[in-house]
Amino acid sequence: MGLTILTQGSFLSAGVPVNIPLPSSADYFKTINMTQLATTQATGRGFMFEWYGNPSFAVNSAIEWFKTNSSHAVNMNLVTTGGFNYVTSYPSPETPFVGTAITAASPAVASGFTGLPYNNGDRVVLYNTTGMAQIGGMEFTVSSVSTTGFTLLGLPAAAFAGPATAVTARRIAPFNQMLPEWMYVTAISQAAQAVVTVSVDPTKLVWVGQKLVFKIPYSYGMVQLNTNYSTGTQDLPAVVTAVNYAAYQFTINVNTTGFTPFALPASTGSPTNPAFATVAPAGSATQYNPVLQTFTGYNFDLQPFRTSLVTPYMNLQSGPQSPAGSSGDTILWQAYKMEQTQYQGV
Amino acid sequence: MTSTTGITNIQNMAPELPLQFSEDLLSTPMFNLIHSFGADLHYAEAHIGRVTRMSRYERLSTAGGYLDGSGIDPAPEIVVRSDIDAETEIYAKTVVINEQVTLFENDKVLTKFTALLGQWLREKEDLLMRDLYSSSVSYINAVGGINGQQPSEISRNDINNIERILLGNDARTMLEGIDADLKFGTAPTRDAFIALASTDITPDLQNVQGVLLKNAYPDQSGLRPEEYCSVSRFRFFVSSKAAKIPGISQPSGQTVYTIPMYGLEAAAKIDQNNYSAILGYRPPFVVSSVAQNSQLYAKFAIARAITNQNWITGLNVTQRL
Repeated sequence: MGLTILTQGSFLSAGVPVNIPLPSSADYFKTINMTQLATTQATGRGFMFEWYGNPSFAVNSAIEWFKTNSSHAVNMNLVTTGGFNYVTSYPSPETPFVGTAITAASPAVASGFTGLPYNNGDRVVLYNTTGMAQIGGMEFTVSSVSTTGFTLLGLPAAAFAGPATAVTARRIAPFNQMLPEWMYVTAISQAAQAVVTVSVDPTKLVWVGQKLVFKIPYSYGMVQLNTNYSTGTQDLPAVVTAVNYAAYQFTINVNTTGFTPFALPASTGSPTNPAFATVAPAGSATQYNPVLQTFTGYNFDLQPFRTSLVTPYMNLQSGPQSPAGSSGDTILWQAYKMEQTQYQGV
Repeated sequence: MTSTTGITNIQNMAPELPLQFSEDLLSTPMFNLIHSFGADLHYAEAHIGRVTRMSRYERLSTAGGYLDGSGIDPAPEIVVRSDIDAETEIYAKTVVINEQVTLFENDKVLTKFTALLGQWLREKEDLLMRDLYSSSVSYINAVGGINGQQPSEISRNDINNIERILLGNDARTMLEGIDADLKFGTAPTRDAFIALASTDITPDLQNVQGVLLKNAYPDQSGLRPEEYCSVSRFRFFVSSKAAKIPGISQPSGQTVYTIPMYGLEAAAKIDQNNYSAILGYRPPFVVSSVAQNSQLYAKFAIARAITNQNWITGLNVTQRL
């Protein structure tokens, strides 16, 4: 039985999708919702979900075992949404969804989609942004998600000339293949300590004490943030002094009050305007505060260059009828690896 | 196409039919390995943790320093050190072979499978370095092309812009120039930075103003087979597995190809002491209770890091031709 491996674990559902790393891959996977197993609901919920790998279920499918309304009586069904998604390599951009608008507001809101399957915190790439071409090709973290739209917290677009009248969105992996990663810059304030806004949620990407190198094309203004712009200085990387994760913003130790204002170029400048303004990780330096007796600047979890997503993994969708359950549910999972699989005309 | 897992046996790899078996095996495909040779090689010591730190002292400022004769000393400057960390990761691949395969197969399968695992070692390492370049480096869109996309196809102006950025950040070239020679149709190359591109854009590379294809270098000795051409201060190396992101260009959703372009000490590959690349064999009596399956494996350790963001910049392009 040299190849037969079974792993199992459990987690407390936060009501969001969960990825379970499976170093040995899987041929069969199941979850049991221990919380729902012990209770009934007015609308019967799923308590066990199964997935088979050979031949593999369609994406987001599962065999759902669920209870009858207000009863322990059991039913089962093959569901094609909200189930499992077995990921064997770094994900490519998913199927495109076409929307009709992005507001010129801060934050911007994209709308006019049909049947969006996204979750809060997902990352998307936007293109075909008619009227807002300067953001075409950029990646954003989405929030306030519905089936018809989402908010782009990292896009302050109030100063844009107008809204977008079309947009196409594709969900992408939550991170680049490696972390820490580079990010798109969407705003930089003119202040004694500048506040930088990025297009994605900087949680797990930015920390106090991190060093960063900016690359700002002339079409965005504020080229003074680029390395070696000012003569005589040390040309040091910028250092993060504070992070506002909820607003996708962080503060750097650079006085930008005398710099050229930062602004995304006009849509009409696409595709000839240089793009994009970006910032990339450049290490850190540890500082010691003898008064507080604390070290800052080194984040053991976030600082080392490392792989972001270990594949293969099983993606569990969340919700009352999904394997990752609802917030507060205790989920037990098991992964099975068959020693050998035989196909008989399948 | 995903791979399948399990034992290699006579069901999923049936022995050759009783025909004459050629004495030579056909070639196994292997993509160009371009992503490691431009990186600095470091070593991680064993028994002192999983994270390797590389540190750089930043230079001192050149402002001030004039002594006016008053006897007042200039203010001392605090030296700044930047720490770059990389986490060692271990990767492995294994093949299990049923005895009936080795018994009935015409070829010496254990030998060939060992060679395949050796190839996997190099290919996996190459792709891991590719992922580093595509994840952690800032990329700039090409805008000098005429295909109407954002980014456009690659152009001379875009390449020159990357050179300007690297030179402006004091990056050093990595490859020496090739002197001119009395050969028709050749031209010298300058000392150059490195650019790593997808084979998909080779038609566009040939179309770039001032391109010097490899055959036009005055001296062919020492050139790598992966090299394709020279443009301005860059020499381009191509691979079918170079980084690309399908379907995201503005406005049409074309594939975007990401080209890292860099000089000396921009990136690091860290090998692990006491854990070099390993090819191993487990005999049947270990793998199987009835001694029918044997196992081959390969594994290696690697850590990766961008060591200087100022000395590397990427270029995003799409296809035109």
